[in-house]
Amino acid sequence: MSDQEIIQFDNVTKVFPGVKALDKVSFKINKGEVHALLGENGAGKSTLLNILHGVYQGYEGNVLIEKDVINFENPHEAIQFGISKVHQEVSLIPELTVGQNITLNYEPKKRLLIDYDKMHEEANKILDKLHCNFRSEDLVKHLSIGEMQMISIAKALFHNAKVISLDEPTASLTTSETETLFQIIRELKENDITIIYVSHRLEEIFKIADKATVLRDGKYIKTFDVKDTTKDELIRSMVGRDVSSFAKRNKPRRFSDEVVLEVNNLTLKPYFKNISFKLRKGEILGFAGLVGAKRTDVVRTIFGANHKDEGEIIVHGNKVDIKSPLDGLENGIGLIPENRKTQGFVKNLNNANNIGLACLDNFKNHIFLDHEEKIENSKIFIDKINLKPKDPLYLTRELSGGNQQKVVLAKWLSTNVDIFIFDEPTKGVDVGAKQEIYKLLEDLVAQGKSIIMVSSELPEVIGMSDRIVVMKEGKLTKILDHKKFSEEKIMHYAMEGTDFEDKKV
Amino acid sequence: MLWRGQILKIKKFKVFREFGILVALFVMVIIFTAINPIYISFNNIIDIVQQSAINGLIAIGITFAILTAGIDLSVGSSLAIVIVVVGKFLTSGVNPIFAIIIGVLIGFLLGVFNGLLITKLKIQPFVATLGTMSVYRGIAYVITGGWPVLNMPRDFRNLVSGRVFNIIPIPIFILIGFAIITHILLNHTRFGTYVYSIGGNEEATRLSGVNVEKNKVLAYGLVGVGAALAALVLLARLGTGEPTAGQGYELDAIAAAAIGGTSLAGGKGSVLGTFLGAILLSALKVGLIVTGVDTFWQFIATGSIIIIAVYLEHVQSQLYKK
Repeated sequence: MSDQEIIQFDNVTKVFPGVKALDKVSFKINKGEVHALLGENGAGKSTLLNILHGVYQGYEGNVLIEKDVINFENPHEAIQFGISKVHQEVSLIPELTVGQNITLNYEPKKRLLIDYDKMHEEANKILDKLHCNFRSEDLVKHLSIGEMQMISIAKALFHNAKVISLDEPTASLTTSETETLFQIIRELKENDITIIYVSHRLEEIFKIADKATVLRDGKYIKTFDVKDTTKDELIRSMVGRDVSSFAKRNKPRRFSDEVVLEVNNLTLKPYFKNISFKLRKGEILGFAGLVGAKRTDVVRTIFGANHKDEGEIIVHGNKVDIKSPLDGLENGIGLIPENRKTQGFVKNLNNANNIGLACLDNFKNHIFLDHEEKIENSKIFIDKINLKPKDPLYLTRELSGGNQQKVVLAKWLSTNVDIFIFDEPTKGVDVGAKQEIYKLLEDLVAQGKSIIMVSSELPEVIGMSDRIVVMKEGKLTKILDHKKFSEEKIMHYAMEGTDFEDKKV
Repeated sequence: MLWRGQILKIKKFKVFREFGILVALFVMVIIFTAINPIYISFNNIIDIVQQSAINGLIAIGITFAILTAGIDLSVGSSLAIVIVVVGKFLTSGVNPIFAIIIGVLIGFLLGVFNGLLITKLKIQPFVATLGTMSVYRGIAYVITGGWPVLNMPRDFRNLVSGRVFNIIPIPIFILIGFAIITHILLNHTRFGTYVYSIGGNEEATRLSGVNVEKNKVLAYGLVGVGAALAALVLLARLGTGEPTAGQGYELDAIAAAAIGGTSLAGGKGSVLGTFLGAILLSALKVGLIVTGVDTFWQFIATGSIIIIAVYLEHVQSQLYKK
């Protein structure tokens, strides 16, 4: 490690339609250090990395590498410049050999043909440096996820990387694989290679990182010397936000003691284990946690989109066996999924058809589909959700994100379900539509429906929920009552999972 | 208001899509007629439609598989099984009406079997039906020992491929009848809505509580029904049931669907489009014969028309994207 800076972000601002993902971010990364990037979901870490690696163009401010302003047109240019990324989801071609993957697009050639001897020789040299016990000639599909990650690092070294960024590298690694990875990182550091390390696991930061920069809501907060800070200080700087946001309840809370849904020891290997909770009538039950907490898998399993391994689901006091979304629907459970485009609506159907998708079986005529009835039916719900434009024949895909979300909600409103599961209800939705969706949530519970809301936005989950289930890596770590909500507490249970001691604050 | 304009655009687009095939058909008729006026004669037009019946029936069926983002390559072989089984029944004196019902039922079940392979065993439609294409063909050979079934009774042949008032061939009515029924199924039943939505986004459809597997199996069953109807028409016309019948028919059917604007990616297409696509292919083939084009060149012309038609369709849909 030296004090010589290698990367400098100078007033970097990146705006997406409706969102300021980065707001005048300025800080430096020194050569040969392990520099952690911290922040909640959506704090801007990925955006910053994507700018550094040439994935995004069109930002304000400058990125300097060794004092030169860079402006990569694409990731390829960044790699050639020595800036490599090890992807969160390993992106390798399973049917090719390790060597082919490492040298992809830069294969050594002998005249017109690929020189396989040289390829494997070069690749094996790098693999030896990384202490890998597989060879360049092996097929990638036979390797473990940890080994695949090593290939990504080998690939970076093959391109003579000066900077390697690792985005949640340990998310799918075993403990011993993580140890190996840390050993490699230390060795890379000795060779003056700079590592940018993104992880939600604070304990790892203290094990491996020299510096830690915290981002919050797209803004630079502070760079800490890891040896001079504590976990609590880091968490505090990540969440210390103005909570007076608009996600708040305007109507009185009115949940009853009646339990509409009870989940006992729900398990789906290898995603989550022993999840138990109760949902009460008229309640909004928030699900908080970091990316990888497996909240989506839990709610999909309750709805029937995944098949549980163990555990029981009790709806209105009856033990039910939910094996498919159809079973979920018949037991009065509806899911408004996280990804509208791939899971929520059908792109070539209009609003009336998308809304009708889940409720056509309730129509009067059982043989023929009455288009008039379908359109009239959809109009009722289009009014309820205040869709813009209020046109049943409009193609859903042409609507704004918020209105698309409302159509998916209307689909479930038109059925008889009384348990609504929202997975990230306001993801990619602009501020105005957000507020409308919050109002719809409140209307639903006012009518005695019950809601499970998975949300990665802390202000939203705090503002809207009656209770919050906090998950960490497939385990339920805490259920908090709304009187005890605080960002720090939730982040603590989401990151640490251990008991929270109030006196530390 | 901007969005009103957009709706108008979308509505126009829908009308225009099948309209485009009509225009192509019209242009083709003018060209062929200019070369040889006999092309526009009543008898020739009847001939064109009649010739399109077999391909049209198969193509309308296969449209359902394609709409779910699948394919059925086994239609030609299903046709062969129906031909030899119905042929055997007829030659052993079974009532023609009963034989026809049996034939349609067999076609449906062969299609359902494809559907089960695709939904239960999760085999990709292309591979599953590539397999049954060979299996079904083999079954047809086994049933007759490789020999054709000869001497279909006259009453069956008259019933299926005779002429109404001695003018209009019955296969035309079968084709139009099947087109109308399937059009209603596709546009006026839940099943039809689900076929479109499965092809458009299977995951979203499943997550809406729709029984995706059941509707897919039914769609493939319908493909089998189309093939069976085509088998009956072919059997009545030829008077013999060859186990080799129907080889390569799946490609003509896919071509008709594609020309008719059915997207091989699923979720987009119509019965009317496929119907017109089949007519267009037939009009082209008859026209090339009437104008005396060399056989070898007929292949080149047919293939080119398929590519051009689908390319124009692509250009058209790009134009209507924002």
